Amino acid sequence: MLVCGIDVGARTAKAVLMVDGEIAGHSVIRSGPGSAVAALKAALETTTLRREDIEFTVATGYGRVVVPFAQRNVTEIACHAKGNHYFFPRVRTILDMGGQDCKAIRCDEAGKVATFLMNDKCAAGTGRSLEVMASLLQVRLEDLGRLALEASGKPEKISNTCVVFAKSEVLALARQGVPTREILAGLCEGVAERVKGLLRVVGVEEDFVISGGISKNVGVVRRIEEKLGVMSHICFEPQIVGALGAALFARGILERTGPNGR
Amino acid sequence: MVTAGIDIGHESVNVVVLHDDGILGHATLVISGEVGAAARLAFETTLGRLGVARASIQRIFATGVGRENVTLADGHRTQMLSHARGAHWWFPGARTVVDVGAEGNRVMRCDARGSLTDFALNDKCAAGSGVFLETVAGMLDIPIADMGALSLRGSSDVVLTSTCAVFAESEIVAEIHRGTPREDILRGVNDSIVSRIAATSRRVGIEPDLVLTGGVARNAGIVQALREQLEMDVAVPEHPEITGALGAALLAREPAGAA
Repeated sequence: MLVCGIDVGARTAKAVLMVDGEIAGHSVIRSGPGSAVAALKAALETTTLRREDIEFTVATGYGRVVVPFAQRNVTEIACHAKGNHYFFPRVRTILDMGGQDCKAIRCDEAGKVATFLMNDKCAAGTGRSLEVMASLLQVRLEDLGRLALEASGKPEKISNTCVVFAKSEVLALARQGVPTREILAGLCEGVAERVKGLLRVVGVEEDFVISGGISKNVGVVRRIEEKLGVMSHICFEPQIVGALGAALFARGILERTGPNGR
Repeated sequence: MVTAGIDIGHESVNVVVLHDDGILGHATLVISGEVGAAARLAFETTLGRLGVARASIQRIFATGVGRENVTLADGHRTQMLSHARGAHWWFPGARTVVDVGAEGNRVMRCDARGSLTDFALNDKCAAGSGVFLETVAGMLDIPIADMGALSLRGSSDVVLTSTCAVFAESEIVAEIHRGTPREDILRGVNDSIVSRIAATSRRVGIEPDLVLTGGVARNAGIVQALREQLEMDVAVPEHPEITGALGAALLAREPAGAA
């Protein structure tokens, strides 16, 4: 049984192909016009599977309504809970940190959402804030976390929450000669602090997982772990968790109702 | 009696010298370097221009974000007190004063004497601030002084859905790529900024007359959008950016200790 999950996010589009409940192929590409089809093609290319053999497709993410070949849409909250539960069945608290939002989710033993809290109104604490700051300080986004961990002294305190105001603050610090690493450490600290606020509301349990692009940033992840006093689980490709959840929903629908999904 | 007010903002310093019959003179300087030194330079420049001796000024009050660093001042007052008093001097009927600065917006309520009775502010978020307008001016390559007039010619086709200025920037980039006229984008930006200002205003309650102060008040598009969203006439002083400094100079007339 071949099913597909597509997650069209604000910054990237992801596809996951599942054969009989196992991940057969996946992809992560930059989102833009036509990126749902492009992500599917990229995922198929990693396999010997054929597009016409896909029995059911579920779309999720901000762009889920612009996936013409999907039979169903499911919210990204439900998909992230489902996808993370697949990797870590004991997990009850999920933090998904995407390009333009951040979600704290609590789920039950079946991977169903019990409660969640989301920030998608403000760039502070989202992947976008780190992108802005990386380009401001001329650091590659993928190096940001590692460099932040290399900071020797105390992280430089960034007092502004708003990314726009924090930009001026960061520039002033750089001009004063504060080492880039210490500024980056301060930025990671700021993101972790924002996220802690969200997590505190939904409640954190021992088995805690982080997904989404920012979970690849060790600088942020370590600081969240320190603040919460728990270790995090992160799967091998944390950006595909939403698409994986969508594929799992596709499989569930197909098993229950047959190929028409009714 | 001759008094002076110095208003230190995030980007500029304003000085007003006031005597019994009105404003003797005023100046606006962009801040570079340390705040205390910038205040001193602006103050001395103003005095030099007016030919007024330092000794003839009886009291100097500072206001604004850097007011405590202005060592040459005899005292300081908050922006809320100063803006209410300054706006009331220009428009004695003023009961609500909206100030839009580089780093936020604040809304003051005042009584018939221009004394502050209540206020609300948003200085945590760039949506609804002058900085956002500056960013847009840069993105569209338009002088800030031209933004208002251009936006008045725009249609209301562009609706920015993001509250956050960072996310709104992406929306603006998408509009630019789509070939949307700059006038329409500017109108959409004004509507977005004013919706944040209106939100702050509603928190404190609005009562006419309403006065808009701060440099952003020179943007006719913002003024128009505020009129539409609050469904109320908006009065703009002749020199909106010096309102805080004027208010500080007015407060400096009062006996020491009174606030």
